[in-house]
Amino acid sequence: MRQSRYLLKKIGWALLTVLIVILLNFFLFRILPGDPARAGIRDPRLTQDAVAAIRERFGLDKPVINCFESLNPVKFGSCGVNPLDTQLFIYVGNLLQGELGISYHTNRPVLDMLKEQLWNTVLLIGAAQILAIFFGMGLGILAAWRARTTIDYTALLASLTFWSLPTFWLGIILLFWGSNQFGLPTGGKATPGGNFATVWQEWADVGRHLLLPTLTYTIVFLGEYMLIMRSTLLDVLSEDYILTAKAKGLRTVQILKDHALQNAMLPMVTIIALNLGFTVAGAIQIETVFSWPGLGGAIFEAVGRKDYPMLQGAFLLIAVSVIFANLIADLLYSYLDPRVQAG
Amino acid sequence: MKKIVLKLWLFLWIAGLLVACGGGETDSADTDSSESADTSSETADSSDAEASSSDEPVVLRVGWAGSPDTLNPGTAVLTEAYTIFEVVYDSMYQLELDGTYSLELADSLDVSEDGLVYTYHIRDGITFHDGEPLTAEDVAFSYNLYASQEDFPFLPVYTEFFDTVEADDGNNLIITLTDAIPNIQSQLIYLYVLPEHIWGGLEGAAVAEFENEAMIGSGPFKMVEYAQNEFVRLEGVKDHYLQGPTIDEVVFQTFENQDALVQALRTGQVDMITEMPNTAVVSLRNEENIELVSGPPLAPSVTDIIFNQTAPENCPPDDGLCTGHPALQDRNVRLALAHATDKQQIIDVVLLGLGAPGLTLIPDSLGVFYNDSLEDYAYDSTLANQILDDAGYLDSDGDGIREMPDGSNPLNLRMNWPSDSTNAPRMAELLAGMWGEIGVGTQLQALDPDALTATCCPTFDFDVILWGWGSDPDPNFLLSVMLTDEIPTGNSETGYSNPTYDALYLQQAVELDQQARIDTIWEMQRIVHEDVVYIIPFYEQSVQAFRTDRFTGWQTDAGKIALEDPSSLLVVEPVR
Repeated sequence: MRQSRYLLKKIGWALLTVLIVILLNFFLFRILPGDPARAGIRDPRLTQDAVAAIRERFGLDKPVINCFESLNPVKFGSCGVNPLDTQLFIYVGNLLQGELGISYHTNRPVLDMLKEQLWNTVLLIGAAQILAIFFGMGLGILAAWRARTTIDYTALLASLTFWSLPTFWLGIILLFWGSNQFGLPTGGKATPGGNFATVWQEWADVGRHLLLPTLTYTIVFLGEYMLIMRSTLLDVLSEDYILTAKAKGLRTVQILKDHALQNAMLPMVTIIALNLGFTVAGAIQIETVFSWPGLGGAIFEAVGRKDYPMLQGAFLLIAVSVIFANLIADLLYSYLDPRVQAG
Repeated sequence: MKKIVLKLWLFLWIAGLLVACGGGETDSADTDSSESADTSSETADSSDAEASSSDEPVVLRVGWAGSPDTLNPGTAVLTEAYTIFEVVYDSMYQLELDGTYSLELADSLDVSEDGLVYTYHIRDGITFHDGEPLTAEDVAFSYNLYASQEDFPFLPVYTEFFDTVEADDGNNLIITLTDAIPNIQSQLIYLYVLPEHIWGGLEGAAVAEFENEAMIGSGPFKMVEYAQNEFVRLEGVKDHYLQGPTIDEVVFQTFENQDALVQALRTGQVDMITEMPNTAVVSLRNEENIELVSGPPLAPSVTDIIFNQTAPENCPPDDGLCTGHPALQDRNVRLALAHATDKQQIIDVVLLGLGAPGLTLIPDSLGVFYNDSLEDYAYDSTLANQILDDAGYLDSDGDGIREMPDGSNPLNLRMNWPSDSTNAPRMAELLAGMWGEIGVGTQLQALDPDALTATCCPTFDFDVILWGWGSDPDPNFLLSVMLTDEIPTGNSETGYSNPTYDALYLQQAVELDQQARIDTIWEMQRIVHEDVVYIIPFYEQSVQAFRTDRFTGWQTDAGKIALEDPSSLLVVEPVR
């Protein structure tokens, strides 16, 4: 009973947050200066009539919301317009029907574009996150267990260095190194138009393209996981019950496994959940350096072109993923530490 | 259950630790890489084999930093989209690299005495990529579509002089114009001919929203595969009615990062790149098996230093603020600033030497229309100082900045540029230094492009702007920018007004004799150069590179540099 109430409360909050995000998203982009119908095009061939027609096609000729024609520059309008005929309600209405609109830049449905890019991003960032979590936590455990030894200092120094490396710089260096030394591709997801005999060869080709960006991402994120794992585990290892366990003559593995790790997991779960949530946002820098066709690069481009529907769609997707990942973290908490639920 | 899971986790971690401790991570990366190195040498081998064996397709790989925004010719904005249209679609004329036009879809043309009726005889036997015939009906349908779709951003403009467009039974296309114009060729080159049997079924908003992924055209290449922001893969139409390509396929691959693009050429991942950062030029020049080419670009573009010289009587009554510094209305001041501007230094610093000094708003890439007989104002700060002294602009209070002849209003100029420009910030700093030497102060500020438009025109709320234009192959639009009539429309950036110039503009707009029109246009350039309406610091060059060990036959000395143009793509062949 208590568990289901806890669950319901968490889900309720998550839904409310999504709703607020939807509204914020809508207004956020409309407060930005600039006219999306022009989107920075200063081409003599773009006539006033064409701009007016484009605005009409994208529904930008309608008031943003009652009393406001536009938000930047602020233009007041009639408060008596039919609220259902304002940009806000049309957007929310379409959203409820699963419509994310048409991208101003590519004239394609945002939903189709997001689907393509999401898969690419999840493939890249997902693989890299798993590697980073695996090696990061491993190193963290090792460093904590062998605290204040050469192993610890080396791991600590390496992690701090990795964590503070500028991502794009490391990416470029690895790109030059990998392409010169091993002939690895410098960009893209696969060799375009490659004639592959089997599906395995095709996957191997994707793998080759995936290698350098994944390595970059893993190196950068590994440091973070290692440092947090090490410090929380060190806290736990200084507890009296660990001393007791040692005094009882338990083996190292048993102490770590049965007594230390579960208690040290809470902060890790938080950080992993947050990072996994942000996975869909991609990594703008890595995706740009390696021309990986994912969400990060798409968001970057959409900002420059004031592509509201694309930005709204992408931000909604990110927000929902982060909120969902947090929800999972909350539920995991209650499993790892029953006191959370009781409180 | 819980214990089993924990055990599994722990096992995995410890396994990972062992690998990591032994430097295993790098090892594993090495192993992976060497495996893939093997694969890559296999791929390289197989691509070598491609070139030599006859049954494997010959694939040309082009690298570029952009990607088409859409495959719908009506709504496309980016140059990359037009590059693809150029090879997949046909239009009435083909623009050659030397700036001339040749008939493409039609084999002959009749023009009525009054220059109002153009009758094109469409070639017989042309087919679309799906096998359907292309007739005058399709051409008429396409032109009427472009004319009627108001929400197409660019193309309707080219149909503004069309009165009617019809096809007759003899496969002729008859265009009746509202006015006789001298440049019908440049009006028709971007009006790509679309298949009526596909586009005819679309109506209203559906036309602009049509994704056109199959992209059925009649050009020398046909669409095979398209992944947005990744690549465009085209197959050669060997039996094209004019000339089919030698190669079997061309792939345009997008590299969002220009350093990666250059590296892709170095490592042989691509055979040609259409652009590169100027910083890469020096290193590529010394690279084995790579040839670098530069010259005027196919699409004319010009960078300008704009002076707000709007006279009070020309200030647009509705929108105009006209706050420009009064000194800029004096030709002497503009002339002095021109003499104080070291264009070569700007080219060397901003473009790393890869540009040509500019003269007027009509750039060298406009070919015959470009008046190269004009002599530019030499860089000479002593002369510049002398001009200002003589005109009475003296530094009466000794603060290093000159004042107006009546002692008021120091010559402190606001200088703005669009914040998305990479060249402008460096150019602004150089100009500030150069103009400072003749006692003209500057206040530098970048503005968001939209904000800059709002400051610029027709409000004229600025002194100096660093900006630029892209142009059609015909100079008509760029010439119109300096008309008195364009001051209130927002197209005039300077507020320049000269009745002689205005009259010459109207004259060239209806002059059907090509040489007479060129003479008039040259005279117009002489006038605006004489009046120092703008300072044109440079004309940018197109810099491209290709691998000499892959394909041969690139058109590099035909006037302009555009290796992605059909002129090269149709003739390149693998190195044997």
